[in-house]
Amino acid sequence: MTFAIDAKGLEKVYKGNVAALAGVDLEVKAGDIFALLGPNGAGKTTLMRILTTQFKPTSGEAHIFGLDVVREGGEVRKVVGYVPQETSVWSDINGYENLLIYAKIYGLPSQSRKEVIYDMLESMGLRAAAEQLVKTYSGGMIRKLEIACAMLIRPKILFLDEPTLGLDPAARIAVWKKLASFKMEFGTTVFFSTHYMEEANAYSDEVAIINMGKMVTSGTAEELKHSLRGELIKVSVSDHHVDEHTLGLIRGLKQVNSVVVADATLIVTVEDAETALPGVMDVLRSAEIPVVRIATTKPTLDDVFLRYAGTTRAPGAASTTERVEEEAGGDHRE
Amino acid sequence: MNDSLRVVLAMMELELRRLRNDRTEVYTRAVQPVLWLAVFGLVFSEIHAIPTNGIPYIDYITPGVMLQSVLFVAVLYGLTLVWERDTGILKKLLVAPASRYAIVIGRSMSSGVRAIIQVLIVIPVALLLGVSFIPNPAYFVVALAILFVISGGFAALSIIVASLLKTRERFMGIGQALILPLFFASNALYPIALMPHALQVVAVFNPLTYAVDAVRGLMITGNLALLPLDVAVIALFDILMFAAASLSFRKIIE
Repeated sequence: MTFAIDAKGLEKVYKGNVAALAGVDLEVKAGDIFALLGPNGAGKTTLMRILTTQFKPTSGEAHIFGLDVVREGGEVRKVVGYVPQETSVWSDINGYENLLIYAKIYGLPSQSRKEVIYDMLESMGLRAAAEQLVKTYSGGMIRKLEIACAMLIRPKILFLDEPTLGLDPAARIAVWKKLASFKMEFGTTVFFSTHYMEEANAYSDEVAIINMGKMVTSGTAEELKHSLRGELIKVSVSDHHVDEHTLGLIRGLKQVNSVVVADATLIVTVEDAETALPGVMDVLRSAEIPVVRIATTKPTLDDVFLRYAGTTRAPGAASTTERVEEEAGGDHRE
Repeated sequence: MNDSLRVVLAMMELELRRLRNDRTEVYTRAVQPVLWLAVFGLVFSEIHAIPTNGIPYIDYITPGVMLQSVLFVAVLYGLTLVWERDTGILKKLLVAPASRYAIVIGRSMSSGVRAIIQVLIVIPVALLLGVSFIPNPAYFVVALAILFVISGGFAALSIIVASLLKTRERFMGIGQALILPLFFASNALYPIALMPHALQVVAVFNPLTYAVDAVRGLMITGNLALLPLDVAVIALFDILMFAAASLSFRKIIE
């Protein structure tokens, strides 16, 4: 089967021997929504720019639907749509004109051009603003216009570099609804990078985490969370002593990895809290230990991210820089 | 239609559409050439300090002032690419099915669109100041075509310079440092024969000299003896600049 993206051993060394990519392997199935996560400077943008033929890798190879990004760049560009992180529309012409210029650059047939453009504006909810100068648009409208530009040629794969950076929650949801509908309607493969874990969790079929120029893990969001093997069941018991025998019985349960008692709380580490919970409760009930409160915690994609990519810096520091960058991004779009 | 030509035309259309929405720059840029003609031109016409083969001095420098205008527009236009490096527009254009050459030539020739509009503002002012143009529409069209084409070459030259710039702070200074030597080391304001020898050598290698000669011949003096040479030099200049700019373009995008 032909992958939408198939990359092997991609390396990119910038001038001054800065290695942005240090051997990236990547496979993305056609029709998937694929999320690329990673800390700032991990190589997300470099990877995306190589895959969209903007510059060549130092070594390694990559194919987009079987087309070599270095040797068949021209063919690759015919099936690829791309929305960079920075604003990529002209602000001193209106929305319709932006699409018109791109339609001409892309060589859309002139007899159907106008119709295609207005359909696209309609579907992105920009029909009413079509004749307004883009400098009057909000951040969300600009992003939608950029996606409209990229979708004009109905690309087989759409690359989006932090598509929802600096957008308010409503605009983010609107953008994602649209992207999901492209997948449904046209089977468009969507490859995006983001710092919003919940977006990767909610919208992607598969997730990969890149750190310091290398892929550190990949899989579905569920698989990655599961791979941490770290779901917890916390059972508070009313100052009742839990004897060693009972603890032994719980430890003996098939799904349980470890049990500790802290104050009057039993912390049981399991692989899957929902299926393990009845067994634990049975043991406590037969030992006649009164239970006050039960809580289960599942690892989130944040935990996955911190596990695989959070080691390079203190998590607190990382989130501060991220927030600063988001604000800068927000200003940039105004 | 050829893919590259299509991209070049689309980028020129873009420039026209942008101009339609914001004309302030066209007017502010017109101030300088108008002052050159109205002040410098008129004063020097009075004192007859520079031998111009019997043509009034203001008529003599009108093509030079037009080309200065073109040079300004073209050089600053090409340098703005440094700005666009930081926006997504350049990146997005690179992913469009267009060759790098088409993008570079399209960008360069778009400056010609602006340059021609600038020139069209200078002409009525020159007429008001009493400049007499040769009333031949064919000459006129050829002169405009030459202004358009040389603008592309100068814009490409400034793209090459832009690719060497690390930051955009030095942008204005570098623009001036490029424009003024080209302007003064040419026959725009005075005949080459009046210059010191060293400057004469520079003027001979300055493509602006050939453009001024061509436009002066077509619009003012009617002396077209060197027109074929002028056209050949301008064409060569453009081709070299387009090729070099396409190569240096890679530096801008990485």
